[in-house]
Amino acid sequence: MLCDHCGKYAATTHVKKTVNGKTTELHLCAHCAAQQGIGTNFGFDLGDFWGSLFAEPAKRTQEDTVRCPDCGRSFREIADQGRPGCSTCYLTFYDRLLPSIQRIHGKTQHTGKVAAQADGTVKKERELQALRDKLNACIAEQDYETCAQLRDQIRALEQEGEA
Amino acid sequence: MAQEKWYQRSGAEGDVVISTRIRLARDLAHLPFPAWMTAEQREDVITQVFGAFPNDQPCAFERRRMSDVPARELLAMVERHLISREFARDPSGEALLITADEGVSIMVGEEDHLRIQVLRSGFDLDSAWQEATCWDDYLDTRLHFAFDERLGYLTQCPTNLGTGMRASVMLHLPALQEKGIIQQLSVTVSKLGLTIRGLYGEGSKPEGALYQISNQVTLGITEQEAIDNLRSIVNQIIREERSCREQLKDSPAFEDRVFRSLGILQNARLLTGNEFMTLISPVRMGVALGMIDHTDLNALNSLLIDAGAGALMEAAGEELDAAQRDVRRAALVRERLR
Repeated sequence: MLCDHCGKYAATTHVKKTVNGKTTELHLCAHCAAQQGIGTNFGFDLGDFWGSLFAEPAKRTQEDTVRCPDCGRSFREIADQGRPGCSTCYLTFYDRLLPSIQRIHGKTQHTGKVAAQADGTVKKERELQALRDKLNACIAEQDYETCAQLRDQIRALEQEGEA
Repeated sequence: MAQEKWYQRSGAEGDVVISTRIRLARDLAHLPFPAWMTAEQREDVITQVFGAFPNDQPCAFERRRMSDVPARELLAMVERHLISREFARDPSGEALLITADEGVSIMVGEEDHLRIQVLRSGFDLDSAWQEATCWDDYLDTRLHFAFDERLGYLTQCPTNLGTGMRASVMLHLPALQEKGIIQQLSVTVSKLGLTIRGLYGEGSKPEGALYQISNQVTLGITEQEAIDNLRSIVNQIIREERSCREQLKDSPAFEDRVFRSLGILQNARLLTGNEFMTLISPVRMGVALGMIDHTDLNALNSLLIDAGAGALMEAAGEELDAAQRDVRRAALVRERLR
């Protein structure tokens, strides 16, 4: 179903109004819903409150010149709509989004699975850390044969990037 | 014969745990999030995801465009937890990949471009995670997922940033509900980064004492840590539920309720969905406690799904109004609990 207002994007906000016994239905895309002030102020999904989590009143008066290179949104638009337009928005406005992300999760550094597309530094760092942990355990157990093997593996992995 | 579905059997800790689910939210880089996509961009995402499974190779998944699916089947899919209510509401520009046992489903064009979901009967977090991460790896090498080393998987809603993983366990907690301690439990688990909700997730009411418990935090925690955390809390809830059931077991009032509910289910000619859920709950507890022996948890788990409004219409092959469904639901329940 397309948006009743712009007819361009999929309708994701559905509003039913009953006035004097007459019911009308309105189907809007997220953009048009936000423009009309619908969507971010009802429903209790944590994400719906996101827009109101932005806490930089002083900076909001700044000129909003930076735009997301992929979807063209400004930080102000993301805050008003309560949601980013695309994944690149997170990278473009990383510093300004971070406080609200921290408020949601309590943390700001991903520690889980790493996608194949990542440049590999995090993946490598984690592999190295795992090997170093193993090495320490072997030293404690005085298993010097395994220690030597682990040391070689660590050295090889460290040199991989430098070559 | 059609392949057995995951919900047609009871699994580990089946007296309390109905099912386990792992869901991974993934988005494609350089495309708007689904809420902002044009019809062409939605089509492009579907083509990319379908293309990840080449036509000339045997495929584990059936590929379906949601706009081709009749409304009653959409409802039945929601009842089987294959798709979300939001996904069923507007099927244009959406697709679903689904395995024959319905244990793995991939929603394309929901809140995120992809939602990889694995369902298992009983309490089975590890194997559900293994299967989910396996399909995630497969797709990761064929699609370009939006990922940042600091923020993890970049999802439309910031509440899913990081792992994008929601692990949830569906529990039958009639004894804890009877004792009125669910509210207290809900406050406690929320302090541990978990949340308890009704049967169909966000905003739904707990029908038939069925509850979903899942992890809330996804950033700064590994998938394994989130799963271990959930597992230890669920184990504790299972112990509490069992001990409350033992306390209830010998009360004549409780025994009366179990058999009175069974009697109504075995004889009613009209059953609304709500009445069915209210009555099946004490019967399920009675079966789990060994008080009723002519049916089992496998049959009851199937019935929980098959007595849904969508499932009844799908079985009938036509749209039915509420009164017609109540007649069919009563007939189905009588037959299964004979």
